[in-house]
Amino acid sequence: MPDFARAQVRRQWTNFGLFLGPALVLLLVFFVAPVIIDVVLAFTDMGRTLALGKFTLENFERMFTRDTRLLGALGITFIFVVATLSVFNVTFALLLALVTTAVPRRLGAFFRAVWLLPRMSPSVVYALLWLWVIDPNERGLLNQIVIHVFDMPPIDLRNNHPLLVIILANGFIGASLGMLIFTSAIRSIPEHLFHAARVDGAGPLSIVRHVTLPALRWPISYMTIHQSLSLLVSFEYILLITGGGPFYDTTVFSLYAYRRAFETGEYAYGAALSLILVVIGVIAALALWRLMDMRRLLQPPRIEVH
Amino acid sequence: MSDDALLGHAATAAGQPDWRALARRTWRTRFSTQSLLLVFLVVVSVPIILPYFWMVVIAFTARTGGVASDVLWTACAIIVPTVLVYSIVHMTVASAGLRLVIGLALTAIAVGLLAALIGERLHLANFRFLTRADFVEELRSKATSGAQFPSVWRAFFNSLVLAVSQTVIILSVASLAGYYISRFAFRGRNGFLQGLLVLHAFPAMTLIIPIFLMLHWIGLLDTIVGVMLVLAAIELPFYVFVMKGFFDGVPWDIEMSAMTDGATRRQAFLLVVLPQVRVGLIAVAVFAFIRAWEEYIFVRTFLIENTNWVMSLYLFWVADDVMGVDYGIVAAVAVFYVLPSLLLYVFCQKYLTQMTIGGIKG
Repeated sequence: MPDFARAQVRRQWTNFGLFLGPALVLLLVFFVAPVIIDVVLAFTDMGRTLALGKFTLENFERMFTRDTRLLGALGITFIFVVATLSVFNVTFALLLALVTTAVPRRLGAFFRAVWLLPRMSPSVVYALLWLWVIDPNERGLLNQIVIHVFDMPPIDLRNNHPLLVIILANGFIGASLGMLIFTSAIRSIPEHLFHAARVDGAGPLSIVRHVTLPALRWPISYMTIHQSLSLLVSFEYILLITGGGPFYDTTVFSLYAYRRAFETGEYAYGAALSLILVVIGVIAALALWRLMDMRRLLQPPRIEVH
Repeated sequence: MSDDALLGHAATAAGQPDWRALARRTWRTRFSTQSLLLVFLVVVSVPIILPYFWMVVIAFTARTGGVASDVLWTACAIIVPTVLVYSIVHMTVASAGLRLVIGLALTAIAVGLLAALIGERLHLANFRFLTRADFVEELRSKATSGAQFPSVWRAFFNSLVLAVSQTVIILSVASLAGYYISRFAFRGRNGFLQGLLVLHAFPAMTLIIPIFLMLHWIGLLDTIVGVMLVLAAIELPFYVFVMKGFFDGVPWDIEMSAMTDGATRRQAFLLVVLPQVRVGLIAVAVFAFIRAWEEYIFVRTFLIENTNWVMSLYLFWVADDVMGVDYGIVAAVAVFYVLPSLLLYVFCQKYLTQMTIGGIKG
């Protein structure tokens, strides 16, 4: 090999190492390796002592035959994900995007900033706000309104409707991401389409129905898949607000795996549960992908709209 | 509105459209829909604004054993009408100078009323945690309080170290990788991109158990360094895509001319291209900082010793220990904790929105 060619190959490799090396190392050590460890761990009996005993299928046997809480956790997860997703992360996000783009620009930006506030504030603070709102005694913000405005006895949402609380708490945060994505999708619709619709005599509602919504088809599909995955595995606010309780009433699947590992020290069982959760997530994502016909998004458009 | 419609029709029938009436009708419909939409936005935003306001009120008024809910409602009773009056003025008065004068006058009235009615209820006693670490023991007898609390500045410093170092790691690693996959053709580029996409979609929260064990094995459990590396790695795919999007937006010609002028590839990257994506760098930095500043689950699982506590853990344990006795001090800690990320958010908002757009483009 001539000298200059060897030098070029060497430069290519040093460039590769220099630019991509740090990212590769970081990702392999702290992201890919844990995935492998999780798979291996799921087939062991690691307990509180963090010692590896033997390789076994016991975790999966326990999961499918003996664990009576698991079915409940699955049901709660299903209700939690479907309710939060359908009411807040998609529908309400869409509503917010439509309304904030219909009012004057600066007002719309202001209200979007307000709705982003929960996402930008630390989760512990956000959870504390919820605890102060739903506080069961008369000091709770909600109860101050319930008692003095509606003249009703104080209510205890945290113990009587815990599922509602976690759906609301996650939904208030979830709505903001969809709102941002839908807003930029609405902004990217060519202005002349709205003018044309208006000339043709369309009212505001039919403009939304026939111009805006069709343009939002892909963002909505994308948000549904993305958010259902992220809701499936998120338990931060649930852990902070209800702690998964009362009893196991708000323990979604991911929180259940966490509690098994870090509350009762059954690390291997927790890892096996996480593995199943990933499998469920992949299946759900693929099913939604097919259902929403996302393949068509990757095809070239039939009509060029610019 | 109905007689306007009638008027309009009648006039059209006569062959002479009454443009004035039509304009008035359009204006009126527009005004009413806009007000309706605004009312909707205000109503749905109250559940968000009110709790934050409540937190601030508790922080500055509550004393041990109780909260001052009357202060909250008094303040609302002053602020809400003021805002309402000003928004009506804003919509009806055309001259900007007059609007400013009225706005200032209204603010002066509101502040005066607030000072007169609730001024003496405000106090800073709840912020005593800033200067003394033993406030928890003081509130509860020493025997019952669960943990010895470190000074709040220790937690603040830890949080700062975690957030800043994680931001620096993400900024440098993501911009290097983003530039490389935006500009270079290399074997396995498609595979790398697809792998990155899978990692981006992968629910990292499910890896908390194996990461915990791995940190334990390599001796980084209960260290800030461990949490910092884990957080950076997990968030990395997203930021690489964001940075790639920003680099894609920089025209090739800029580098080409730099290299024609004698710069090497690396010089062109550092001195010419990097300044072009300044907005992207700022956006990524702000976002990464806020994310690390608010992190809870990972730090709760990976940090144990109270000398390693970050602000989120500090606030959590303060709330856990004294919530039943003293709301005020918990709210004061929360205000202190939320302030840095809130200020960053407010002042860097324009960069953050650009990142979303850049991210979609990429």
